[in-house]
Amino acid sequence: MKLDRPTRAQHSETIIALIDVVFFLLVFFMLIGRMDATAPFDVDPPFAITGRDMPAGGATLAVSRDGTLALDGTTIARTELDTALARALAQDSDLRLRVNAHRDAELRHVLPLVAIAEAAGIKDMVLVVTPASQP
Amino acid sequence: MASSVKLGRPRRSGPLISLVPMIDVMLILLVFFMVTSTYLNLDMIPAMRQQERAGGSGLASGGTVLIRLAADGVPVTQGRALSHDSLSALLTERLADDPLTQVLVLPSGAATTQALITVMDTATRAGAVRLRVIRLEAQP
Repeated sequence: MKLDRPTRAQHSETIIALIDVVFFLLVFFMLIGRMDATAPFDVDPPFAITGRDMPAGGATLAVSRDGTLALDGTTIARTELDTALARALAQDSDLRLRVNAHRDAELRHVLPLVAIAEAAGIKDMVLVVTPASQP
Repeated sequence: MASSVKLGRPRRSGPLISLVPMIDVMLILLVFFMVTSTYLNLDMIPAMRQQERAGGSGLASGGTVLIRLAADGVPVTQGRALSHDSLSALLTERLADDPLTQVLVLPSGAATTQALITVMDTATRAGAVRLRVIRLEAQP
């Protein structure tokens, strides 16, 4: 009895198609992803219907539910904020400050940040919101 | 005497670099980006504009509506607590009379950020173009 060994198929074309697909996926994820420092605590931005598109760039100041601050992912004391902002402004005079406050954070923790940022010389400041649909 | 010249076709060599390690690296990169990426759909509301700061307080012209935001997030105007629908109707009426009516929001420090954003949303949807949030500072 003679058993035939199955012939080996050529895989070169299949591998090239796989490389193409993987390359497309890789480029896709690299392009649409935006590297950003995340806060060391949970921040759920408030919902807003009339928000505008978020511009890229700038520093992010996160405010937790209990008022803890984090500048670009690093926890910072409120008393050190003006120094840190002045340092960031020295590197970029048109620095945009994005305030990413938790929706349940009390305004006594959030509103004074505007005065601190203004005193430090920030000229462009935005509040981060989550887009909500029309009711 | 005839001599024959035999031209040999050079033998095709296989690929010098194997594709398999490249595929491995690309797959690892792909998995890395897929796992570490978080996709957030975020918008923004301008909190400070340079031209506003340069233009002064802007209180000189047009009427003004003052909305106090209580600690529980309820908007209060002229001593009356309003629902967001009532506030929207009031602002729409005032802005129809004077489109340059300035809307001032004076929030309690104990109100939440969401409450302030909701009031700002209501005012913006009613057509307010001059919206300001004011804050009382304690003086020694």
